[in-house]
Amino acid sequence: MNSPAYPITKEKQSQPVWKFILSELKPRGKWLTPFNVISLPIILAGITLMAIRFTHGLGAVSNVTQEIPWGLWKGFNVVTGVAFAGGAYVLTFIVYILKVDKFHSIVRATVLNGFLAYLFYTFALVLDLGKPWNIFNPVIGNNYGVSSVLFLVAWHFILYILGLLIEFSPAVAEWLGSKRAHKILSGLTLGAVIFGVTLSVLHQSGLGALFLMAKGKIHPLWYSEFIPLLFLVSSVFAGLSMIIFEGAISQRVFFKQISRKNHEARKDMLKILSRICAFTMFIYFFLQLLVLIHGQHWSYLNTPMGYWYLLEMVGFVFIPMLLFIRSFQKPNIVLTRVAAIMAIVGIILNRLNVSIIAFRWDAAVRYVPSWMEIVISISIILIQIWIFRWIITRMPVLNESPGFAKIHKQAGNHYISK
Amino acid sequence: MDGFSYTNIFETKGIEYLTIIAFFAVLVPFWFIVSRKPKRKVAATGSNQIISAASLRIPQGIFFSKFHTWAHMEESGNAKVGLDDLLVHITGDVEISQLKSPAEYIEKGEVLAVLRYNGNSLKILSPISGEIENINSTLNENPEIIRADPYRLGWIYAIKPTNWKAETNSYFLAEDATTWAVQELKRFKDFLAISASATMPQPVGVILQDGGELMEKPLAEFPQEIWDDFQKNFLS
Amino acid sequence: MSIDRRSFFKFLGITGLTVIGLKSSGENTTPEDDSEFYGVLYDSSICIGCRACEKACAKAHGLPEPEDELEAGIKRKTSENQRCVINAFETDEGEVYVRNQCMHCNEPACVAACLTQAMYKTKEGPVIWREEKCMGCRYCMVSCPFDVPKFEYGSTNPKIQKCDMCYDRIKNGEIPVCVKTCGDALFFGTRRELISEARRRIAEWPEMYIEDIYGEHTVGGTGYLYLAPVSHKELGFDIKLQKNSYPSLTKSFLYSVPAVDVLVPSVLLGLHAATKVKQTKTENYE
Repeated sequence: MNSPAYPITKEKQSQPVWKFILSELKPRGKWLTPFNVISLPIILAGITLMAIRFTHGLGAVSNVTQEIPWGLWKGFNVVTGVAFAGGAYVLTFIVYILKVDKFHSIVRATVLNGFLAYLFYTFALVLDLGKPWNIFNPVIGNNYGVSSVLFLVAWHFILYILGLLIEFSPAVAEWLGSKRAHKILSGLTLGAVIFGVTLSVLHQSGLGALFLMAKGKIHPLWYSEFIPLLFLVSSVFAGLSMIIFEGAISQRVFFKQISRKNHEARKDMLKILSRICAFTMFIYFFLQLLVLIHGQHWSYLNTPMGYWYLLEMVGFVFIPMLLFIRSFQKPNIVLTRVAAIMAIVGIILNRLNVSIIAFRWDAAVRYVPSWMEIVISISIILIQIWIFRWIITRMPVLNESPGFAKIHKQAGNHYISK
Repeated sequence: MDGFSYTNIFETKGIEYLTIIAFFAVLVPFWFIVSRKPKRKVAATGSNQIISAASLRIPQGIFFSKFHTWAHMEESGNAKVGLDDLLVHITGDVEISQLKSPAEYIEKGEVLAVLRYNGNSLKILSPISGEIENINSTLNENPEIIRADPYRLGWIYAIKPTNWKAETNSYFLAEDATTWAVQELKRFKDFLAISASATMPQPVGVILQDGGELMEKPLAEFPQEIWDDFQKNFLS
Repeated sequence: MSIDRRSFFKFLGITGLTVIGLKSSGENTTPEDDSEFYGVLYDSSICIGCRACEKACAKAHGLPEPEDELEAGIKRKTSENQRCVINAFETDEGEVYVRNQCMHCNEPACVAACLTQAMYKTKEGPVIWREEKCMGCRYCMVSCPFDVPKFEYGSTNPKIQKCDMCYDRIKNGEIPVCVKTCGDALFFGTRRELISEARRRIAEWPEMYIEDIYGEHTVGGTGYLYLAPVSHKELGFDIKLQKNSYPSLTKSFLYSVPAVDVLVPSVLLGLHAATKVKQTKTENYE
């Protein structure tokens, strides 16, 4: 039962656990790549600034004000980042519920990404708390603020991270070579996926619902009672665009790990993904139109904020939608990737608008993030990429699973049919 | 001005969330109950539980090898292989262990799987050479599929053949297969008669019912030596 | 089997959560006599802008005395060091003074927003901040339509600063220090008493007051009520605030959560069952 990629050699089996982990921590590959050289100083600076934030209070590093209390970390890392991590629930839905096996080769990388994303964005949330040691209060019951949308979102984050962990754990079991654990965990996958999709529907829209009570504080073009629905729909193409974007990078960086069969499969996948993105963006665009009509706010369109709104909607939702359509009519990978990047920009704009730009747009002192906030924000993302890279180069995420895993996977497909 | 009365619009939220948690807990077993298939009776040969030439199933489009294994080429270019009906009825309620995994190579005549019953075992040899593409995992949980549907759902391996034409050249197809199967059944009855009298003085009720027909699972009661003999004479 | 294990753990989870849940969610804000919230009536026509209330409040809560001067046209705000503030407005009736502080809404946005119930509507009426529960997420600040809660950004153990209607004193049967110090423009009592007193003043001296009481219906009714000599708009009040409470804005979302939790897994299970049949079929015909 040996696979060529992961021969379970005698040495691997007989090593004590800590020695194995230690050996895995050693870096592989070159040290001085351009990415490392740029990212390492930023990460170190970020960590230093985080320490300062804890020793000197939030105000020392952040520009948030009494009127605009949420800044870059919540607005960008949490609200925007979570939209992008939505690829995990969409893709697991496609692969495990709709059984479109074509996407099987990228589902693991996406789930891993989702898991790391949520983990790190929870960390960003903790960073942004005034008294983070009390974060356990809503978990242990001191007290349960059940009327709060944030309570719902926080709990969903925790449960969803657990769900993603279960979905990803078979890869860890394969890495460690433990067949029994692998069998058990593979059986839990379907339950974790269903749980995960339910949770995702609620917390993607929940992030939007957070802003429902800020009526009057968010510019009318971005505030409506439909914010949760719009956030949910846009999270679909946000996640898929991020999959396309990251897929382009992983394909180049981890080229050797992907089998030739999977390289070919990716081209097919791109075509399908661009169709789904185009369609979802179409629906989203019309929903926004409906909201605009329903709220009767078109008089705002002829103001500076109105122009900004049009730029976001037309420039970064409508146009990428057209590009996506073009890219699958005459299959063009470059065009797909350009469209994905534009869609990503559109999502960033939308989320930042709702949370910090159109939020108290009329305040006397506008909120502009400080350089320290930006450095911390970027370093959180970079640390996440480093860990992603560590896992990909060691665990069977992009490359083939060992033999015993494939048997369990087939068994898993039939486990309910008894 | 009338008094103001205060109602908490989210009063039942806590209980609702608890109810949802209870719902999830109940949903899992409930789903299993809803999707459980009724227990299928394993189809017997006719209903008289005898093996006869008439009740043997020999699909006409399948290649039969002298190892009593069959091979069938499919649209995808992969060939499925499995046990033939005679072998399945002779051996009875066996456990089949698949020895090969996907991506491994197998040669024609190499051991593909092992049938076990009560400590006795039989080696099943592969009819063709090629790369294993897939193994039928349902056999692990539902082994009765081999007896119920040995040529379709009871397939054992899907192999991408490397030498299909040459290897299947000598195999039995269509009417040849039917003729051969009937001959093998007769040969087996003779074999049983000889083996039985050699090892056990009393004829076991397994053979030679009225009309000289064979009961189901004749090999089940015999010791390993008879199995080895059977292996040598019929499966190699 | 994996099924039983899962059910078992979930059963453990329910029992545990039921115990915790019943204990803590029972602390919901359903007062025994829910029509008798305490509040404060502020009479802008009588207020002379002496700011004695500001000084008394600062002294009683250990905050620095506000030093800046009143000036019509400059809007002073509460801050992390100041719980209440007087502003001056130039109007047709001369200089009018308006006091700003937490409105102690009947159905406060901050209380609904707080995920740890650190912001809490007491059964007596005042909305208080409970330090030991707060985690400093500042969601209350996002939600409050009056922008009341203020945060100590400079501290490593930050507080939320806002008027709590001197809740400790109320529990001991006393009245808030600002009301005690002023005596004329500020009036303490249950909301019912305040509204009837306000109506009385309007009826007796109609030339001094406008008809509307700010806070009577605004955002579902607030604990602080305002009598004013001129229109509210001229006095810097936010007149675009809705009559429904702010938490009602999240009502439709929160109400839909259990329904989604039941429907989505069911639909997914159904889809799974439907495509499973297709899958076993295609596997055999590969």
